Amino acid sequence: MSKSYFDETHCAFGHPKSTFMQWMLTIDHKRIGIMYAVVMFTFFFVAVAAALTMRFELFAPGQQFIEAHTFNQAFTLHGVVMVFLFIIPGIPAVFGNIVMPLMIGAKDVSFPRLNWFTFWLYIVGCIVALSSLFNFSIADGSLTFNFADTGWTFYAPYSLNTDTNVVSTLVAAFILGMASILTGLNFLVTIHRLRAPGMDFFKMPLFVWGIYATAWIQLLATPVVGITLVLALLEKYFGIGIFDPAKGGDPVLFQHLFWIYSHPAVYLMILPAFGIMSEIIPAFSRREIFGYRTIALSSAAIAGVGYLVWGHHLFTSGMSDLAKIIFSFLTFFVAIPTGIKFYDWIATMYKGKIVLDTPMLWALGTIITFAIGGLSGVTIAMIGADIHLQDTYYTIAHFHYAMLGGVVFLFFAGIHYWFPLVFGKMYSEAKAKFAFYTLFIGFNLLWFPMFIAGYYGMPRRYFDYLPEFQIYHQISFWGAIIFVSGLIYMFYVLIQGIRNGKPTTPNPWNATTLEWHLPSSPPPLENHTKVPYVDFRPYEYHHGQPVVKFDENMKRID
Amino acid sequence: MVTNYKAEKGGYYKVLFGLLALTALTFIQPTMFLPDMTFGLQMLIGTVKAWIILMYYMHLKGETLIGWTVIFAVFIVVFFFAIVIIDVNNFQYADVSHITSPAK
Amino acid sequence: MAHDSHEHDAHVYVPEIAIDRDGKEHVVQGWQGDYEGGKLGFWLFMLTEVLMFGAMFMVLTYYFTLHHQDFINASAGLNRVLGGVNTVVLLFSALTMGLGLLKMRSGDVKGAKLMIWATMLLAAVFLGVKAVEWTAEYHHGIFLGLDALQSGNEHSKPFGEILFFGMYFTMTGLHGFHIIIGIGLMLWLLKRINSGKVTPEHNILHFNIALYWDLVHLIWVFVFPYFYMIGAGDIAGGVIHGH
Repeated sequence: MSKSYFDETHCAFGHPKSTFMQWMLTIDHKRIGIMYAVVMFTFFFVAVAAALTMRFELFAPGQQFIEAHTFNQAFTLHGVVMVFLFIIPGIPAVFGNIVMPLMIGAKDVSFPRLNWFTFWLYIVGCIVALSSLFNFSIADGSLTFNFADTGWTFYAPYSLNTDTNVVSTLVAAFILGMASILTGLNFLVTIHRLRAPGMDFFKMPLFVWGIYATAWIQLLATPVVGITLVLALLEKYFGIGIFDPAKGGDPVLFQHLFWIYSHPAVYLMILPAFGIMSEIIPAFSRREIFGYRTIALSSAAIAGVGYLVWGHHLFTSGMSDLAKIIFSFLTFFVAIPTGIKFYDWIATMYKGKIVLDTPMLWALGTIITFAIGGLSGVTIAMIGADIHLQDTYYTIAHFHYAMLGGVVFLFFAGIHYWFPLVFGKMYSEAKAKFAFYTLFIGFNLLWFPMFIAGYYGMPRRYFDYLPEFQIYHQISFWGAIIFVSGLIYMFYVLIQGIRNGKPTTPNPWNATTLEWHLPSSPPPLENHTKVPYVDFRPYEYHHGQPVVKFDENMKRID
Repeated sequence: MVTNYKAEKGGYYKVLFGLLALTALTFIQPTMFLPDMTFGLQMLIGTVKAWIILMYYMHLKGETLIGWTVIFAVFIVVFFFAIVIIDVNNFQYADVSHITSPAK
Repeated sequence: MAHDSHEHDAHVYVPEIAIDRDGKEHVVQGWQGDYEGGKLGFWLFMLTEVLMFGAMFMVLTYYFTLHHQDFINASAGLNRVLGGVNTVVLLFSALTMGLGLLKMRSGDVKGAKLMIWATMLLAAVFLGVKAVEWTAEYHHGIFLGLDALQSGNEHSKPFGEILFFGMYFTMTGLHGFHIIIGIGLMLWLLKRINSGKVTPEHNILHFNIALYWDLVHLIWVFVFPYFYMIGAGDIAGGVIHGH
C-alpha cells in the first residue's frame, strides 16, 4: 500500500512529530482544502441554527421565543456567517485548493506557504467575527448578546450609530477579505504558471476556468469592500464624515462601495459552482461537453459584466434615473452568458449515456432550482418591478434559490463527486440519493412560498407579520424542518463513508480530467508521479468510454 | 539575471531628471499658465509621471501578461469613476437633498 | 535559479520532464524558485492596492464634484512647501531603491545594502515632514475630532471642507502607513540579505520590495496634486487659514 497525503506532509516550518501539529502546519493543498471544509461546514451549521431560530419565531404572528432585537441579531449572524465565513471562501477554498492543482497537473499551488498563512488568516477572521457572540449578559433571566444587529450589509448610518459590537464584525470582514484576496492571487499565479506542459487555456478543465474567473473577482473587487469597511471604522471612531449625513457625507455612497464588491461576490460564489456542473455533466453523460469554448468564455464574461451591475441593489435608495437605466440594462446582460451555459449543459446530455449517480442527481436538481433563482433575478432587475419587490420575501426567495439552490447544491454535488478522490472510499449511494431527495423537496417547500408571500408584500427582515401571511410562513417552517433533517442525514452518510466506506479505484466515475489519473487513491503527497504532456481536450469520450489513457509514467498509450 | 550596473544606472538618472522636471511643472502650473484647468492638468501631469514610473522604475516595459492585468484593473477603476460622475451629475433630487445642497 | 538550501529536503525542486507522444521532452514548471511567478504574484497584490486607493479617490472625486469650491478653498490652506519637499524626498528614495536593486543584480551586495539604508533614511524624513505638517494643522484647529471638522458648532467648516479634510487625513494617513510598512519590509530584506537568503542570483524578494516602494511613490504622485495643488491657483503661499 503506497503512502497517501494522509500519511506524510510538508510543513510551513519545522518537522513536528505529532500528527496534530503536522495538520496545523501543513502546506499541502489537499490537506488545507480539507481543513477549510471542516471549519466552513461547522460554521455553516451555526448559521443554519440561526436561520432555524428565525423560522421558529416566524411560525405565528407576534412574539414567540425571542425578542425583536435578538431577531435582528439572528439574521445578522446568519448573514455574516453564511456570506463571509462560508460561501465566499466556499468552493474555491475547498475544491480550488484540493482539485484545481490536480486538474492542471501541478504539485501544489504557486505559493504553498502563503496558502497556509491564508488559511490561518481565515481562522483569525472567523474568531474575530464570532468573538462578540461570547460577549453576552444574563439580566432578568433573559439572555442578551452584543452581536451586531445591522444585517450583513452594515449600511450606514445605522451601523455607525448602533450600540452593538459592529466593530469586531467589520474587522473580521476585512480580515476575511484579505484571506479571500490572497487565495485568489495564489490561484491566478498557479493557473498561469503551473499548468502541465501542452495545456493551454483552452485545454483546461472548465472547473479551472471557473476558479480563474473567480480569482479575478476576488482579487479586484475585494479591496473595494476592504477599504469601505476601513472607512466605516474610521468614520465610527474618528468622525471623518464620509458616510455621516450630519457632516455632508452620503450614506448611499457606502451602499455603492459595498455593492461594488458584494455584487461581484455572488458571481465569485456561483462561477466555481458552474465549474463543478461543467465537470459533472460530461462525466455522467459520458459525452464530450457541448460548446467548451462558450462555457469557458461565458465564465469570463459573467465575471467581467458582473463587475458593472452593482447598482441594481440601489434602485430604491436614491440614484439618478440615468444610472438606474444603465444598471438595469447591464444586469440583463449577465443572464446571457448564464443562459449559454445552461443550453450547453443540456445539449451535452442530449444523446449521452446518462448515469444517475448522486453527483449527477445534485447537478440535475440544481438545473431546476438555479433556473428558478436566475430567472426570478431577471424579474427584479427590472426597475419598476424592483421598486415593489426589493424589500420583500420575493428577493429573499430569489437569493436563496440562486445561492442555496445554486452554489450550495453544486457544492454538495462536488462533495459527492470528489469524495472518492479525497478519501479513497465511497459513501453509500442509496443513502446519499435519499438525502438528495429529502433536501430537494425540503428546499422547494421552504423557499417557494416566499416568492408568493413576497409578491403579496411580506417585507423582509421583519420580526412580525400580518395574519394573512401565516400560511406561507408555516409551509416554509415545515420545509425548513425537512431541509435541516436532510442536511443532517447527508452529513451522517458522508461521515459514515469516511469511516467505513468501501475503498475505491482512482477513477470510479470513468471521468477524463487529470485529477482522476492519479497513481493511487487517496492521492500521494506530491500528486501525479510524473506530469503528463497535455495534447488532448479535457472531456474526450468515444462511445461512452474515455479516450485518453496513460501508462504508469503518465505517457499516453491510446 | 546578473546585469551590468554601470550600463543601467544612466537610465535611472534620466528618469529621475524627467520626474523632477514634471514635479517642477506641477508647482508652477497653477500660477504660471491655464489656472482655470488646474485640476485636469495636475491629473494629466500625474498620469504622465505614473506612466514613466510604471514603465521604467517598475519594469513594466515588455511585460505582456502583467501589462494587461494592469490595464484591466485600471479600466475597472475608470468605470467606477464614470458611473459615479454620471450619477452625481444626473441626480434628479440634487436641488432638495440635504447633502447635495445644504442650507446655507 | 538557486533554491533555499535551509529548507526541508522534500521541498527541493527536482527538475521534471514531460514526454509527449512523439518522444519530445518538455520542461515542467515547478512552484519552487519560480521568478516569473513571484513577480506576477506581487503585481497582482499591487493591483489590490490600486483598487483600494482607487476606491478612495472615487470617494474624493464624488465629493469634489459636489462641493467644488469648498475643496479648492480647503486645498489652498494646505502647506504646499512641505508637501512638495516630501514629493521630492520620495522621488529620490525611488531612485535609491532602484539603484540598490541594480547593484544587487550586478553582484554588489554591499552597495545594495547601503542603498536600502539610504531609502529607509529618506522614508524616515518623509514621515518626519508629515508629522510636522499634521502637528501644525492640529495647532490650527484642523484635525479629526476637533470642532472645525464636527458639524453643528460655531467653528464648523462647511460640508465640503469637512469632507476634504476627512479624506486628507484618511488618505495621507493610509499612505504614511504604507511607508511604515515599507520601512519594515526593508529591514526584513536586510536581514534576509545578511543571512544569505537574498543573493544576486536569487533576488525576487528585493525585486518585489522595490516594486512595492515604487507603488507607494506612485500613489503619492496622485495624492499630492489632488490635495495640495487643486487650490494652488486661488491663493499663493502655503499657510493654513484656520480659525
